[in-house]
Amino acid sequence: MRRFLEGVVLLLAAALAVLVVVAAVLRKIGYSLVWYDETAAVLLAWLTFYGAALAALHQAHIGFPKLVERCGGRPRRALFLLRKSLVIGFFALTAWMGMKTLAALGGTFLVSLPWLPARVVYSAIPAGAVLFIAAELLAPLRPERGERP
Amino acid sequence: MTLAAIVLGLVALILIDVPIAVALGLAAAGAMAAETGLRDLPNIPLALHEGATKFSLIAIPLFILAGAVMNATGISRRLIAFTAALVGFVRGGLSMATIGASLFFAEISGSAVADVAALGSILIPAMKRSGYSADFAAAVTSSASTLAVIIPPSIPMILYAVMAGASVVELFVAGIVPGVLGGALLMFAAHRIAVKRGYPAEQAFRWRRVAETFREAAWAFLLPVIVLGGIFSGWVTATEGAGLAVAAAAAIGGLVYRELNLASLRRAALEGGMQTAVVMMLVAASALLGEHLTAMRTPQAVAAALLEITENRWAILALLNVFFLVVGLFLHSSAAIILVVPIVMPLVEAAGIDPVHFGLVVTLNLGIGQQTPPVASVLVTACSIAKADIWDVSRANAAFVGVLALVLLLTTYFPAVPLSLVELFYR
Repeated sequence: MRRFLEGVVLLLAAALAVLVVVAAVLRKIGYSLVWYDETAAVLLAWLTFYGAALAALHQAHIGFPKLVERCGGRPRRALFLLRKSLVIGFFALTAWMGMKTLAALGGTFLVSLPWLPARVVYSAIPAGAVLFIAAELLAPLRPERGERP
Repeated sequence: MTLAAIVLGLVALILIDVPIAVALGLAAAGAMAAETGLRDLPNIPLALHEGATKFSLIAIPLFILAGAVMNATGISRRLIAFTAALVGFVRGGLSMATIGASLFFAEISGSAVADVAALGSILIPAMKRSGYSADFAAAVTSSASTLAVIIPPSIPMILYAVMAGASVVELFVAGIVPGVLGGALLMFAAHRIAVKRGYPAEQAFRWRRVAETFREAAWAFLLPVIVLGGIFSGWVTATEGAGLAVAAAAAIGGLVYRELNLASLRRAALEGGMQTAVVMMLVAASALLGEHLTAMRTPQAVAAALLEITENRWAILALLNVFFLVVGLFLHSSAAIILVVPIVMPLVEAAGIDPVHFGLVVTLNLGIGQQTPPVASVLVTACSIAKADIWDVSRANAAFVGVLALVLLLTTYFPAVPLSLVELFYR
């Protein structure tokens, strides 16, 4: 799962950088890409949801662990399990509602890319939510926190 | 659900270490469920998606990536060599070179953590080898990295611009004077401390060395000229400038210096992608809660309550300064901007405070917050590189934090400090 998410994040970051540079160059020579804004925004959203799952695997999301770290033994473990349940609960709700959204989108397509179904664009939300849950379940019980931006 | 219940719920979730992005989402979902049952819950994915597709924020991953490329291609090393040749002859020269290199690095990377990780990994061990204490080496590198968020480009400024509806280019320009002033004052403080503690000078000053290192770093100096020049002149947008920064750094590092280290680039790009996702999840989740708070007219209520206490804008700025300093102690800067700025903006506008001026005040406050425990991501990174205790480093950092606080006061109460260049070129 880690390798899959790393591959996706690298691909999306590289695609975003290449798209922005190519679009800027084309704009300068008088050939603006009509689908640039919408596509770049979609890539950013995908990077957000897939990258968030990778960050969850590294326990790198911004939080305030000081209080829980000060608790010892049982209270700490109880708070930790409560925290994990809440996180998983939120993403389970997001995945569920995300699936309902995909069903509701039916046969709609993007405005600037009329061949791209909106379902594909929005699929990153339930997919990212499920991956986030898997990352929470796979992450070590009390890991070292990763680097934060 | 009342505002007090939402805030209490949010604080409780944050205190039990629920990631802040998730805490925001849970608070919003709870408020929705309390008011309309299951009816509005299908809005959750739509609001999250809407929040994550803010076009102006595309600049964030690209500026992080540009910093990563600079580091993976030896550009940072050349900047350090040049600044060391320039100021290495005075006592504490290596610490001053750290601040100088931070000033240059800040002109491409907009992240203080990227700055401290890139420069600290080279300069902190070098300072320790030269006889500086680990605490001082970590402290000076950590504080110098704050320049990355003051000098353009700056990720907190991009976030602030989106949240406050301010011009990102004007914010970037407003950061130049406070950033350079901060760099100069930090260098002065580092030199005075070095003299007091007997830290060494590195080498005699030689024009030849300066010329040689300048020649080596000349291409690197072109980067800010191309990127910031392009943005300030209106030739490219901030987002395009960020893309240009990645392309130019890769071209200079790969084609001119021929040092593109693919393994370290991959590592850094992954780290950058993950940092972006962390910030963007906060933005997306805040959009969810923001919709709800806006519907409740919370920002307007906060503004009205504070304006009843005082209408004096300097007093309001003082209150907001204290507030953001306290918030910065406990929250990461991105989270603080996303959570607090939309709520205080109606107050800022009602008090007649220029949003660009206020943006600099917020950025500086939260930059200082990254230097002060318990939540101090930049300081923690410096401590981990220096293998030093966070409280010892905090004590050594007190003088530098004092300097940053002085820059904050000057920026707050002398609006000409941030706004003079903006007035000159854009108004």
